[in-house]
Amino acid sequence: MDKKKLDLFFNPGSVAIIGASENPDKVGHVIMQNYIDVGFSGMIYPINKNAKTVLGRKAYKNIKDVRSKVDLAVIAIPVEGVSRALDECGSSGVRCAIVVTSGFSEVGRDDLQDELTRISNKYSMPVLGPNCLGVMDMRSRVDTMFLPTFKLDKPKIGGVTFVSQSGAVGSTVLDMISHEGFGLAKFISYGNAAVIDEVDILEYLMHDDNTKVVLFYMEGVKRGREFIDTVKRFTQIKPIIIAKGGTTPDGSKAAHSHTASLAGSATAYEAVFRQFGLIHVNDIDDLLSYGKIFDTEGVANGKRVAIITNGGGTGVLATDALYLNGLELAEMSSDSKAKLEKVMPKIVNVRMPLDMAGDADDKRFAAAMDVVTNDKNVDMVMVIALFQTPGADSRVAATLIHYKSNSPKPIVVVSPGGNYAQVHNQMMEGSGLPVYESPSSAARALKALFDYSEYIRNTRDIYGKGIKKGK
Amino acid sequence: MNAATSKNRPDQLKLLEYDKAESIINKYGIQKPEAAYVYSKEEATAFAQKGKIALKVISEKALHKSKSGVIAINLDATSAGKSYTALYSKAKRNNLSPFKILAQRMSEPGTEIIIGANTDEQFGKLILIGLGGVYVETFKDVSVRTCPINEYDATSMLRELRAYRIIAPEQRTERMLVSLLMRVSKMVASNEWIKELDLNPVIINKEGYSAVDIRIML
Repeated sequence: MDKKKLDLFFNPGSVAIIGASENPDKVGHVIMQNYIDVGFSGMIYPINKNAKTVLGRKAYKNIKDVRSKVDLAVIAIPVEGVSRALDECGSSGVRCAIVVTSGFSEVGRDDLQDELTRISNKYSMPVLGPNCLGVMDMRSRVDTMFLPTFKLDKPKIGGVTFVSQSGAVGSTVLDMISHEGFGLAKFISYGNAAVIDEVDILEYLMHDDNTKVVLFYMEGVKRGREFIDTVKRFTQIKPIIIAKGGTTPDGSKAAHSHTASLAGSATAYEAVFRQFGLIHVNDIDDLLSYGKIFDTEGVANGKRVAIITNGGGTGVLATDALYLNGLELAEMSSDSKAKLEKVMPKIVNVRMPLDMAGDADDKRFAAAMDVVTNDKNVDMVMVIALFQTPGADSRVAATLIHYKSNSPKPIVVVSPGGNYAQVHNQMMEGSGLPVYESPSSAARALKALFDYSEYIRNTRDIYGKGIKKGK
Repeated sequence: MNAATSKNRPDQLKLLEYDKAESIINKYGIQKPEAAYVYSKEEATAFAQKGKIALKVISEKALHKSKSGVIAINLDATSAGKSYTALYSKAKRNNLSPFKILAQRMSEPGTEIIIGANTDEQFGKLILIGLGGVYVETFKDVSVRTCPINEYDATSMLRELRAYRIIAPEQRTERMLVSLLMRVSKMVASNEWIKELDLNPVIINKEGYSAVDIRIML
């Protein structure tokens, strides 16, 4: 697959929507409306054999009637007409196509799907789908999704690209991402992968400068050995956090009929993920929770975690959480301790976890952060900021943001609570400081970051040779 | 590879004859006890002159020897002949023909581990290591990689086992097992026709290790 051609899906100069309609119940209507709503700047050609105009634009009876060059065709018509429409796209010189329509391999119609593959090869025209949502690019404002904008919050622009074999998981996670602190680069839903599969997508994203982290939901790969060859190089450049559906026998059956993916054994997938540095999660919550830390935090040089807290009990829970996740509580240097003895009030016991007491204000947080982030014995920092306490207010959030932007060490905040806490959590996350609801979710995220960093340290010389690490 | 990780398909796969399995194991430098087929009680007795032996019935129909009871262990020169005769009759009685009887030098006791390999339809050859015997089924404490593996893979396979310190209590044992894993990986990766492999158990003792039971499926 030519990588430049994959790029066209995200940056088309012109789009034809086959099945565009005035009828708001039709998928083609929603797709067209989305293109208009997001302010797509290229040409839009609605294709509808019965309409003169669709949403105020001149409609064409057939793709062949469009005289100008069409970069991307989105096909959203009933399954019977799809191969013919795709063939017409090919013969009219359309450069790539997305087939949104379902009713192919996932319902046993391998014959119909093979037909799409054949047409794609005949015209060397890359095809995404069928049975997919297509793509979204936050920068070029391409959005082929057929979900009405009012039903789904759209994420802000950022460095996380989300790839989903399943459209349903895709749209749900997108909706959830929009409420997380991190932003999205691209979204790709590739469905049955008749032509473009996970290997093609990863090969493309590996060199996509806007993508810093990949979140992946898959049900299976089509080309196992090629997948290994790709991820081996990919994870040296940027992390992939992956959830795989169908790891249980029942789930595997469900996955097969769902997007018609080929199953290998669950054990084999787990082995591949572990062997080549993919961060494997078992549910969507972890996908998002890990996405957040990998988006903003750099490398963890070790597993010694300092805990700073304004609540003793939560500090104890956090210490347990570190241990349970295979991390270590950092031991501060004597130099650090001496510095803290000077600045902390007498009631504060200067040791880890550092409990600064419930009246800790921004100055106490600042003093602790100053010492801890500069301590050679500390690899990562977990700050527990309980905004329910008398001393904690917006100045504490601002202080933490300040230290975050001035320290190369990974820092996470634990801040559970209601509206008052949430306001501050949004402030911090919006400034690139990952916030977690509990010490255990924070500890798991730190562990994932440490494991990945450790993997890179151990494999750089084996797999990283000759690979240029982008920004 | 054990049932925890692979579907057993004895109907489709064929057991490789012991002497052929032995010769490929030798080619890749994998240690195993001295062994030979014996065809009479005299031959069995002669083989037991130099130290204790085990006798095993080798038959397509008796893949799980200890379960089917067609194995005798800890035999010396006085008991080997009698055991040979008993085993022979038992195999006949249990309809295991055609079969052969393998005599094998007993290994010093030690920690038993399992090393296995099978073929995944999507990713190809997989290799597995875990604590052997009954533990592998009970605790499912195994680690798995795709082949071929490198030194880092082999080391991390050992270290992620809960039984890591039981299996490799010393640096020396760890290095020995890393090398063994890489040999097995190389063997299954470069011989496409090996569909499954079971070294179960491999005994780790103070002399090193010994693959006392070898099963290769085609």
